Amino acid sequence: MTDFSFLADDSLVDALLMEVAGLLRGLIDRDEGGSIDLRGLPLSPSCIETLDRCLGQGEISVVLDAAGRSEIRETSLPGVWWTKHADGAGRVVALLIEVAVTPGILRADVEDMKRGLDRLPTLVKVAR
Amino acid sequence: MDPTATLGEVLGRRGFGRRSLLKFAIAMTSSLALPPALAPVMAANLAKAKRRSVIWLSFQECTGCLETLLRSSSPSIEALIFDFISLDYQESLMAAAGADAERTLREAVSANKGEYLLAIDGSIPVKDGGVYSMTGGRSNLGMLTEIAADAKAVLAIGTCAAYGGIPKAYPNPTGAAGVEDLISGKPIVNIPGCPPLPEVLSGVLVHFISFGRLPELDELRRPLAYFGTTIHDQCYRRPFYDQGKFAKSFDDDGARQGWCLFELGCKGPVTHNACASLKWNGGTSFPIQSGHGCIGCSEPDFWDAGSFYTSLAGGSSAGWRNTGIALGVGVAGGLAAALSGRRKST
Repeated sequence: MTDFSFLADDSLVDALLMEVAGLLRGLIDRDEGGSIDLRGLPLSPSCIETLDRCLGQGEISVVLDAAGRSEIRETSLPGVWWTKHADGAGRVVALLIEVAVTPGILRADVEDMKRGLDRLPTLVKVAR
Repeated sequence: MDPTATLGEVLGRRGFGRRSLLKFAIAMTSSLALPPALAPVMAANLAKAKRRSVIWLSFQECTGCLETLLRSSSPSIEALIFDFISLDYQESLMAAAGADAERTLREAVSANKGEYLLAIDGSIPVKDGGVYSMTGGRSNLGMLTEIAADAKAVLAIGTCAAYGGIPKAYPNPTGAAGVEDLISGKPIVNIPGCPPLPEVLSGVLVHFISFGRLPELDELRRPLAYFGTTIHDQCYRRPFYDQGKFAKSFDDDGARQGWCLFELGCKGPVTHNACASLKWNGGTSFPIQSGHGCIGCSEPDFWDAGSFYTSLAGGSSAGWRNTGIALGVGVAGGLAAALSGRRKST
């Protein structure tokens, strides 16, 4: 892997932290969060590492197994989530900073719940 | 597969829940540079959508475009795209041949009249009645004109289909032309590149299926999400350009330190594409990261635009001379363009 550490792009980290602050203020004041798509920005790996380090680790870490592994963890700022989605081959397909009370992908879907309920009798039979 | 089933039903039967579809939508909105807030809308629309028929015709081409697009399909998340489309005709992939293939094409057109997407790779030779590329005794131009007439939209895949590409290079012995030179009155999307990035085709298809319309295009009919900025603006070597640090040869100290390849002929400053951000081979690398300058393959007439190894500042070719590129452009301008082109927040 190429070492990009020589790039001096701290200014981008500063700008993104300011944007996170703005989104978090919006979530607190107006219940309006938002997301920053880090893969859509010209960020070097070292810049992303710096950003990750600045935001820190919070209380919650979730691993989601849906069409590949996703890691969703709260940063040290409650309501600010570091979200990494990978596909079945482990390739990262989305890297986001989400500012939300709870990331939407964690909520259970009604149709999925119905399908689960339909499966319940079979599960009971198997369990016995 | 039941053609009346919605994609949500099909995926549900296969054990894919809403989260998988939402995750796919998150990846696609990221790829399409759409606001992340649109991901739940896209997922909901995809769940309700039915498979879209795609008819793919290959003309004067090398099959490189099809090869690269096929390589994208597995095992990446884009594999899901094959649940979203019905590839009803593709000569290189389908089992049918000869009269069976011709019947398959007629049936696909008839069954999906006015609704299918027509994908084209390769240029269309028009000189001497189009005799330089024929399929089943029919010229490429004749097939394109006939099949495009009932298409919902036409996707010109690769630089050859978009602008004529290498077959059109001087002296263009076959009179090669791109789709947009020959078809009018139909929505046309150009997905240039030699070959094109597979993620761009996935993104265009998913956008069309999700929202019922094509994504926003630039003046050359390319999806803005992928072609809105130059390679240069997204390039990780861009800070060296701004600092005036250039490799002078492919094996000098500057090259070894990863300095800018502008003086070695890199066409990144005038080439619109997403190679520097999406990269190739599953996000592994792209030509500049491998030490070679961009050759500008997603721009019209790139093959005739001068040497790949002559810099934009000093090139003698008219094609590259009038680009308005000057050394010393500040980092703020470049980064601002990149940020405004790609950043999304809601």
